[in-house]
Amino acid sequence: MNWPIRIGSIVLAIVVCFGIQYLATTMLKSDGQRLVALAGLYVTLAVSLNMINGITGQFSIGHAAFYCVGAYIAGFVSLRFFQAQPLQPVLWLVVMMVLGAAAACVAGFVVGLPSLRLRGDYLAIVTLGFGEIIRIVIQNTKELGGAYALDKIPAIREIWLVWLLAIVTIAVSRNLLKTARGLAFLAVREDEVASSAMGVNVTQIKVTAFVLGSAFAGAAGALLAHYETSILPTTFSMDVSFIILTMVVLGGSGSITGSALAAVSLFYLPEYLRSQPPVSGASLAAAVIVIVAVVAVLRRIQHHYHGTVAKKVGLYIGSIVGGVVAKLILGALFGLIPAFAKASYTGDKLRMVIFAGTLIIVMLLRPQGIFAHHEFSWTLIRRLYDKVRGKGAQGAPA
Amino acid sequence: MDSGLHLVAGLDWGALPQNLILAIGLGAVYALIALGYTMVYGVLKLINFAHSEVFMLGAYTALFTSYWLGFSPEALQQASRESNWLNLLMMLLASMVFCAVVGVIIEFFAYRPMRDQPRIASLITAIGVSLLIQYGGALVLPVSPPPSINEAVNPYRGSIPVQLIAQNPALAAEAAKAKEAFDVADAAFQEQMKAERSEFDLSPRGLELRTAKQVAERNYRTVRKKAEDSGRELSIPKGQMIMFGTTVMLMAVLTWLVLKTRTGRAMRAASHDFDTASLMGISVNRIVTITFIIGSALAGAGAMMQATFIGTPLTTFYAVSLGVKAFVAAVLGGIGNIPGAVLGGMLMALAETLVVWMGKSEWKDAIAFVILIVVLLFRPGGLLGSAKVEKV
Repeated sequence: MNWPIRIGSIVLAIVVCFGIQYLATTMLKSDGQRLVALAGLYVTLAVSLNMINGITGQFSIGHAAFYCVGAYIAGFVSLRFFQAQPLQPVLWLVVMMVLGAAAACVAGFVVGLPSLRLRGDYLAIVTLGFGEIIRIVIQNTKELGGAYALDKIPAIREIWLVWLLAIVTIAVSRNLLKTARGLAFLAVREDEVASSAMGVNVTQIKVTAFVLGSAFAGAAGALLAHYETSILPTTFSMDVSFIILTMVVLGGSGSITGSALAAVSLFYLPEYLRSQPPVSGASLAAAVIVIVAVVAVLRRIQHHYHGTVAKKVGLYIGSIVGGVVAKLILGALFGLIPAFAKASYTGDKLRMVIFAGTLIIVMLLRPQGIFAHHEFSWTLIRRLYDKVRGKGAQGAPA
Repeated sequence: MDSGLHLVAGLDWGALPQNLILAIGLGAVYALIALGYTMVYGVLKLINFAHSEVFMLGAYTALFTSYWLGFSPEALQQASRESNWLNLLMMLLASMVFCAVVGVIIEFFAYRPMRDQPRIASLITAIGVSLLIQYGGALVLPVSPPPSINEAVNPYRGSIPVQLIAQNPALAAEAAKAKEAFDVADAAFQEQMKAERSEFDLSPRGLELRTAKQVAERNYRTVRKKAEDSGRELSIPKGQMIMFGTTVMLMAVLTWLVLKTRTGRAMRAASHDFDTASLMGISVNRIVTITFIIGSALAGAGAMMQATFIGTPLTTFYAVSLGVKAFVAAVLGGIGNIPGAVLGGMLMALAETLVVWMGKSEWKDAIAFVILIVVLLFRPGGLLGSAKVEKV
């Protein structure tokens, strides 16, 4: 059908990847480059978890396990055979990605099987348990480095490949939803019993979702192993699973755009805060009080104000501006108390606090996630624009 | 390679009863935390990830109460003090009350606004609250070096020896004789030592006496070990017994509360069907608050006892793995089921202790999940729970 458009978008994707690589290598130091690569990996992880959680409606909170399997298999094989093989490093990396993906597929299949019997929270805790078991098994296997790092993995650092994987993951998710088979995934999410009555093979769909999602995580793991050159079992702890899950839910469960954008922003938020100057205790206390108050006010406006959209947005902005002013005044007042003024907190210590606070605030104000179930499209933007202009209130646009 | 048979043969069966006793104390802690998870889940269908942080705050409350009672490291350096049961009771109550308050605050600010929303949203909020308390707590609470409750505050240190099998009288007599010989040799050596200049520069006579003493000592130790091995003694740590006793007492109160009171009936109704319960005139907000009060107070009790009797160094992250295991225990017993939580907690502690007893302590953390997965595959509702069949 639209072959020119298809080929065009593939070329565009590759160009974008090399563009990212070019920008990162020319403008950033090695730390910054590493962050760009890790951000790409998190996009892959979030979008692939979104396939399991958001699109198919299964409740997996052990995604780091697949990441871990991919990383360790690829790292182990590379460590043994990289010197003896004839391939170019980049090609070898691609082979390792395939290997990592295959190993993670097997793990995904094993974890996916209980999902046939278990639902909701029970499935969640089993996936969490699988993740922990895999981590502990690695910790107790001497050949994989045990509790110490598996290191001296050959370094093959290709940022473009990382982002290409991210784009491929996004493309596969998106195209899946455009096919009849993809609709079956959505049907399983909405109602298992009903979709099975409609002839959907629920078992197959669920296991496919797990296998597909874990394959991408495994490939991401292989890239991580070759980028970092040394991996630890604790790199893949429960916290990582939780952070990936948070990216999916915060972006909006089921929304690919949401997962990808939330992955980038949630990954960069703590890294950005790490380098921030220290904050005084007075300022911190004032900020906490004001944030709680502003969130309460915003929630009130959200639920109890029934004016036009434009006015509502005005009220939102007004209360945020008011909050900033109140914070400055309170901060100055608290500064008069010596104990408050003396205490000082570095950005490095505060970053996870702010991360956690952001999660809670976003969930309180927008429980369906930033993008809810929407995807990015020009139509969506026009509709939003119309809504703010007040046309949406009259109920017209299609 | 060690085969299964080798594994069984290498076990120290004699140490088993002692290990089982240790499992009881740990099981009590798991059970107390698991109860909090299971009650909140029963009513709200929410995995309260912040519960382990409530537990952590309970341990810190106990720590600060013990400081306030005069058992801080500085105060103890100036003068050593003896404690009594009243101090322990005050620490217990302080922990329970503080945890209850924290639990209610968390519920009010973080979970109540999310009640009408999809459950995954409240789950993320719970993770957020958990991270906030961990990292926010690290800003204000002492974490490094990790403080721990001084054992001076615990008047019930040591353990009660219980004789299971009496020692062989002949061996015991031999041991007594060996001890006598050792005492004589030791006395002679000590006498000589008074004349010597230093222990490292002995005269020939001194050297001879020292060798004699060492031989006697070695002989005495061998004979004593033989005598002890002929009998079997258990030492029951007093702290573990108190933990177990308190847990049983709290459990009895909880069972009475849930089964016999009006509030308990309302709680069960809300757990059965939240919406219908509210239509029947039950104030579900009140019930949820009470659930959080009870669950958090139990966690506080568990935290105080764990920190005092087992004496863990405290950081704001120390409760995470404990919390996960307790949650697994709750799921194992059948989440939402109160006796199930206790059973799950005890089983979890038992499995862990047995793994350590088998000399595989590095697998301690994995066993919990292995058991969980196996049980859930065969009984998807947990041991005491019932799996609901979905109706169309």
